[in-house]
Parts: sequence; structure tokens; C-alpha cells
Amino acid sequence: MTNSNMDAKARAAAILGGMKKAGIDLIASLPDINCLDLIGALERDGEIIHVPLCREEEGVGICAGARLVGKKPALLMQNAGLLNSCNGIVTTGIQLELPLLLVVYYAGDIGDRGFARVGTATMPVLDALGIRHYLLRDVEAIDWTFKNAWVLAEDSSRPVAVLLTKDVLGTRA
Amino acid sequence: MGRPMKRHECLKEIAGTVGDALVVVCVGGTSSEWNAYRPSDGNLRCWTLGLTSSVALGMALGLPHRQVIALDGDGSLLMNLCGLPTIMRKKPKNLIHVVFDNGVYESSGGTKTATAEGVDFVAVARGVGIKNAFGADTVEEFKKLFADALARREHTFICARVEPGRGEVPPWPWPDVENKYRFTRHIEQTEGVSILQARIPGSWKKS
Ligand SMILES: [Mg+2]
Repeated sequence: MTNSNMDAKARAAAILGGMKKAGIDLIASLPDINCLDLIGALERDGEIIHVPLCREEEGVGICAGARLVGKKPALLMQNAGLLNSCNGIVTTGIQLELPLLLVVYYAGDIGDRGFARVGTATMPVLDALGIRHYLLRDVEAIDWTFKNAWVLAEDSSRPVAVLLTKDVLGTRA
Repeated sequence: MGRPMKRHECLKEIAGTVGDALVVVCVGGTSSEWNAYRPSDGNLRCWTLGLTSSVALGMALGLPHRQVIALDGDGSLLMNLCGLPTIMRKKPKNLIHVVFDNGVYESSGGTKTATAEGVDFVAVARGVGIKNAFGADTVEEFKKLFADALARREHTFICARVEPGRGEVPPWPWPDVENKYRFTRHIEQTEGVSILQARIPGSWKKS
């Protein structure tokens, strides 16, 4: 991995910055410990509307409503939350053909212990839903990935997922 | 528990009072009745059990100057009770959340919901910190609470306890994707913004 000298806070700022450069202006979130710096940066950000969630599926509804009135929304969650969100993703996000950015912490990724089963289910579930997904490991790929993920979401009128890893977040939890 | 009023009577009473409000309505009888009494491209039907109030919250946050109304059902709210504390945290001044509590899953055949056994949504809403949470048992009460909510300009939750049954209205007219396009174009026209654009071919000459 490149840019290994950046600390986790700087990486969180770079990830939030990449999302903002992609036009994202509303983020609904539920924390994973690896995303604390990212959510902290989001809370301090004065421009993006932040909606802290109780359960991830409600975030699909919030993002859908925001999109329908012209926002560019993202749902930030762990992959367990992706599993919690599946009905909403299908019967609102996909059914209404809405572009939504799913920013998913990839627990159970290689090198991430404790969530191997959720990790195992993640990509097959995204594939089964027909959701294109892109694995983000390299800090230098942040801006390009978010920019093009949103463009792809709009072009395809579908949710698109970006999977965040410890590599790009620089976390050890 | 007596439930002397019907949902469609309530909807008919408020239909003329909402102006250009955006209305998210849960799938089933509520959506057909609402669109019959207040036909508008500003109506959006939510298919996901539970997400009616969440979709409305997203709209309310995205367009804070525009009145947004969620017309929810008891089965739907029970599925997403945790949406209430999320709305409470954001306190959207422009969101009115109405739940028609008929005590049954009407769209899936009439099985009892937990509210038929005594769940009190107004107490739940107050318990999660929603200050303006009220219940109505008659059409007159409902009409008054709704008018007050429109005037208050603070987030308001209203539980209308109704008896099961649908109004004699035509079915909801639009497939989901058409509903989305009509709704979004309605936003573009009424807000003067551009949301959906066609992609320009690469061969298009820039002049
Ligand atoms: Mg019901």
C-alpha cells in the first residue's frame, strides 16, 4: 500500500473529502469502530447533512427520500448493516431505480479478525442484489473511486457500493 | 377498544389543507385513498414496510423549507420503531408524521398487529423524546390536530386510531418508477432545480 505514512485521522479526512468531491451532500451512518475518525470528521463537517441512525435499513429510506428531492446521499455502515438493509435496498433503492452510494466497512476482510462470516457473505449478497462493488485499499484511489462510483450509480440508476478496508482507513481495531 | 373513525374519512378531511406539501404514503389502501383525494405528482408511494417515515425524513432534511408529510400505518411503524428516535434527533420542523393505527396488517390479509394488544404509539413517541405527539379517536380531533401541526412548524407525530377498511377509490395509478420520475420532475418544476439529466453523447460537439 502506498501513503503508509498517513495516519488514520488524515485518511478519514481524505475519505470524507473524496465523498464531498464526488458531490455527496448527505450521509446517514451507523458506526463501526474502524470508522470512528470518519464519523468524527463527518460530525465536524459543516456542509454535509449527517443523520445518525438506529438501524441501517432506515438509512436506505432516508437516502432515498433525500435523493428524490435532489441530494446526493451515501449510507455509511458496516457490512452487518448491509445485511440489515437488504429489504430496503431492494424494495426502495432498486425498485425505484435510485442512485445511492453504499459505503460499507468490510469487516471480515483478509487481515480483519472476528467477522469472517459476515465478510464471507458480503460480496455474494451484493452480487445477488446486482449491486456493483469496489474495494478501496489504496489512499490514492479514494477520490477516483468515489467520483466514479457516484457517476456509475447515476448512470445505472442503482445503488453502488464502495467497500472500505483497514488498509485504506489505516486502522488496527 | 373502540375505533369509531375510518382512515379514508380522515384523509378526505385533510386533503384540501396540505397545499404543495410532499407526501410519502405507505403502500396499500392508504396510498390509493390519499391519491384519490389529493391527486398530485408530489405523492410518493413507499413499498418497503417501515420506511415511509424514513423516506419522508430524507425529503424533509433535503428540502427544509418544504412541508413534508408521512402517512404511515401501524404495521409499518412497528417494523421501524427505531426510526422515531432518529427523527427525534434531527427534529425536522417541516415533517408531520401521521400513523393510521387500524390494529391489523390490512394489506397482507388482516392479521392483528401488536397495537391491537395495547401498544400505545403516542406513549412510544413521547418516550423517545418527541414533544409534539398526539392521538386522535374522532375525525374532528384528527382534523384539529393536523391543522395545528401545519401551523406549528415543528415536527409533529399524530396517531389516528381507525377501524380497518378501505375507502371506495380507484387503485394507485402509477408503476413505481413512473412515480419516481413524476415526483422528481415535480420537485424540479416547483423548486427550480435540475436533478435528472440525460447523458450527453461523447460525439456531441461543444460549441
Ligand atoms: Mg394497519
